Amino acid sequence: MHQGTNHDSLCVDAGQHCTPWIKIIYDCAVSVRRKEKVVPTLMVLPYLLLMSFCAIVPVIYGALEVPKPSFVNLTGGYDTFLKVLQDFRLGAASLNILFLLLIFVPLMIVTVLVISLLMDSVEIRANNVMRLVFLIPALIPTGVAVLFWFDMVGPEVIWNSSNIRWFIGCVIFSTSVGGWIVIQYGSLRSISQEVLEAGVVDGCNRFQLAWRLKVPLIARYVAYMAILLVVNTLQIFTEPNLLLSTKVTTDWSFNQIAFSYAFSYGDFSGGTAISLTLLLPNIILALLFACYTDFLRKQQRA
Amino acid sequence: MISVTQRRNTILIKLTLWILTLLASIPLWWLLQNMRDINIASIASYQEGVIFRWVKETLIFVLSALVLSVTTSVTAGFALAVLDVPFRRTLLFLTLVTMLIPVTALAMPLYVMVDKIGLNDNVLGLILASAYFPFGAFLSYLYFSASLPVDLIDMGRIDGLGDIGIYRHLGLTLANSLLGLVTFFSFITLWSSTHLPSVLLTDPAASIMAIGIEAFFSQGSALIALLMIIPSVALYLVAQRSIARGIFSGAVKG
Repeated sequence: MHQGTNHDSLCVDAGQHCTPWIKIIYDCAVSVRRKEKVVPTLMVLPYLLLMSFCAIVPVIYGALEVPKPSFVNLTGGYDTFLKVLQDFRLGAASLNILFLLLIFVPLMIVTVLVISLLMDSVEIRANNVMRLVFLIPALIPTGVAVLFWFDMVGPEVIWNSSNIRWFIGCVIFSTSVGGWIVIQYGSLRSISQEVLEAGVVDGCNRFQLAWRLKVPLIARYVAYMAILLVVNTLQIFTEPNLLLSTKVTTDWSFNQIAFSYAFSYGDFSGGTAISLTLLLPNIILALLFACYTDFLRKQQRA
Repeated sequence: MISVTQRRNTILIKLTLWILTLLASIPLWWLLQNMRDINIASIASYQEGVIFRWVKETLIFVLSALVLSVTTSVTAGFALAVLDVPFRRTLLFLTLVTMLIPVTALAMPLYVMVDKIGLNDNVLGLILASAYFPFGAFLSYLYFSASLPVDLIDMGRIDGLGDIGIYRHLGLTLANSLLGLVTFFSFITLWSSTHLPSVLLTDPAASIMAIGIEAFFSQGSALIALLMIIPSVALYLVAQRSIARGIFSGAVKG
């Protein structure tokens, strides 16, 4: 910065004699320098590298892999997407997923909200212990949770394909509700006290306070939770896969079908095509979330 | 009259909560009850003590990935909230999208990528593939946007602090509860992750606990489950205050 002028004039001379693309790079470098963006960029860089390695490159790589000739599409090309979507197993899997989406996702949202609102509405001294108890089922590894539910309902229940939906729903329920209770209780605690007092002054009772003030104030975190629950349900894999020994849950979920392409038939393109199609809802939901909350807006600095 | 109904409601709410807590504690009782049937010696000697190998691999994996994920995401969240980062909005949007992508979705391409760079069956590959923690960056972004007043930053600048100085002296000093929170959530994600490890570590002898325990499902699963829970509970108790203070503390404005 302190040597800026000297340095800049030197570089401008150099820049004028160079080919256009060097000029462009040079301009970028100068603008980064001038706006003092070097350090901020460096601070984001490791995160960006991990993001590329773990998320962006795999998606691009998968997209490039899809059109290669494969078991499901011998001639290759992007109609692999269409061919894979005609897989007869997807119908049954959609019913399973739809069942979870319609029954268990709303159930989980309501449970999380009810429990965290109840905890927030009264003063309980053992509150910490209570949240820990709610959290513990969520800390149990999925495999053990499956065993737990086996023990609860009796092993004969799960040999029936209509029961298995309820069974898997219960496993998901018990392993995911706890974490969200802790999170949403936290977001309820972060509502400013003044707002709530104003509500009390206006004559809200406890229920109205929760329904008219608290829920709207934490709406975006509830939306975030709902989106994550939906997305995770669409991608469900571990739970049905742990029940494979029952023979009822082969190809139970979309992801299992994707994996069956890749690892049973060695058809990486077909499996990736399903995986990538499953990402569409995620991107749409993320866009909706970004549009309807002010997440991307730079926070007012006041 | 109102106060009577109010008191009655309070009691009813507390009662409901205690009943729900009791229900939620059933898995814990179940675990403790199953403890009795456990033969620790048989677990320790299973396949010539393979469990100790699992513990070692788990510690290497979880601790390295934890350090990597917490440092990168908190630093990035700070920079995105407070400093002028090029392509800030794009980065935030990518964070949001990738936060909504479950690991299962990308396991297959990741497997092939890790295989190509020769890190298949290597805990290093798993660490790299698991260390990206967009939720942590999201939390840090919200936290720093809400809790670092711009006046404070200006004062720091006047005192001659650079970007890194502001991060070290102002950001991190105020970020205790954020660090507790991000560490806790990163830890439980890594500690219980099974999908990516099962795809990336194909050798059962060099696997991690979360996968290895499946071998014990017929016998002492309860003990292993307890062993799996204890670190998370301990960390929860340590980070409890920051967790209670709220993930989004300060972010909810009236």
